[in-house]
Amino acid sequence: MKMTNIYEGSYQWIVFGRDENKPDNIIDTNQYMVRTADKCLLIDPGGVELFAPMLAAVLHYAPVDQITDLFASHQDPDIISSLGLWDQALPNAKLHSSALWEGFIRHFGCESIEYVPIADGGGVINLGDIELRVIPAHYMHSSANFNIYDPQAKILMSGDIGAALEASGAPMYVDNFDAHVEKMRFFHQRWMPSNQAKRVWIDSVRELDIDIMAPQHGRIFKGDDVNRFLDWFEALPVGIAVQ
Amino acid sequence: MNRDKTKSQFVAVASIAAELSAVMEVAKEISLAAANAKAIAFRAGEKAKGFQPITDFINELAKETIELVRAINEHALLLYQLTVNEYRMTDTYTKIELVATKAQGAAYEDSIEQSLLEAGQRMNECRRSFKSSVTQLLDQLEEVMHPARAARVIAANSRIEASQAGEYLQSLQAVAESVDNAAQVIHDNVQRCRSALSVVDLTE
Ligand SMILES: [Fe+2]
Ligand SMILES: [Fe+2]
Repeated sequence: MKMTNIYEGSYQWIVFGRDENKPDNIIDTNQYMVRTADKCLLIDPGGVELFAPMLAAVLHYAPVDQITDLFASHQDPDIISSLGLWDQALPNAKLHSSALWEGFIRHFGCESIEYVPIADGGGVINLGDIELRVIPAHYMHSSANFNIYDPQAKILMSGDIGAALEASGAPMYVDNFDAHVEKMRFFHQRWMPSNQAKRVWIDSVRELDIDIMAPQHGRIFKGDDVNRFLDWFEALPVGIAVQ
Repeated sequence: MNRDKTKSQFVAVASIAAELSAVMEVAKEISLAAANAKAIAFRAGEKAKGFQPITDFINELAKETIELVRAINEHALLLYQLTVNEYRMTDTYTKIELVATKAQGAAYEDSIEQSLLEAGQRMNECRRSFKSSVTQLLDQLEEVMHPARAARVIAANSRIEASQAGEYLQSLQAVAESVDNAAQVIHDNVQRCRSALSVVDLTE
């Protein structure tokens, strides 16, 4: 599992991904960690196949008892099917996810972990020294879906938005936006269902100060590429399966 | 535990439910046959005097079988849950063990030890309750064979009694026949349940 620091301040953001032992027939995912002095948030901790390499990688940064918070942007298996295993491995953790998905996500196993339901309007995740904002991104693609925004690090973790289907071992950052577009087009047109939801999301995200947009698949957008993405996405018709 | 073994445990537990529902049907048939026999014996009067207590007894056996099967069914459902739990906990333990191996050299590798220990305890606990549940179920299956065996003996007696029943001979013999068949079916199904459970390793 590759580990890359994407923010280094009084706390850290780390991305885990490009696991070389991942079976070929499952989609590659990026897992994110926000590490503060004594707490740790795992964002979209991943599928059940990824649990062992993921936790092993996390142990480079934090002990299990300081992995206090998990966040699932939505209910998909590549996001959170590992929950049943985290549930047995972490002695004191909470899962923050949509209230709407609670009864579904619990199918993955959630006995010792406390499920903290997020209302449709979003909320915050408190990690002691810092507070992260939970931003609504409904229907993007999941019907109850959230992003994480860190106003201090200026990072938006955008879930499946900005995702790209990449060859394994692709670099962590977008280095040529125009070339990158083709790896995103089908994903966004087919998985994103609603042009209206897309417009609402773009409008809300344009109000945020973002240095890094970090999706759950593919590469991370930095600097001007964030706005390039928003402009490209704005012009892209989505929901094509029924047009 | 290896995957094939777990798989065959799931199949074993699931197949018990199927066998048992057939046993239940047959037990109900016996109960019906007993009611039928009672009516015939009543009409036959003196000629079938010896047959009347037998029909009551057959009815008792059928009821007993139905009760036992009901209890076994409930138990089989619990066993299914325990199979799922055991499978999950074994899988969890294996995965956490893998974490410990993969985390070698990581700054916080030691912190996984406690989780591994606890997962191991939970796994063993699941195994223990699974195994003791299988043992109990085997006992219950043994128990349900008793009325079936008794029913076969009674069916043999019924044939003798039926032979004294003059013009009712044929109908009473048919009753004895169907009780005997039903008891045979129950015996075979329960036997299949027991051998299905034999894939479970009960040693510690
Ligand atoms: Fe998704
Ligand atoms: Fe995804």
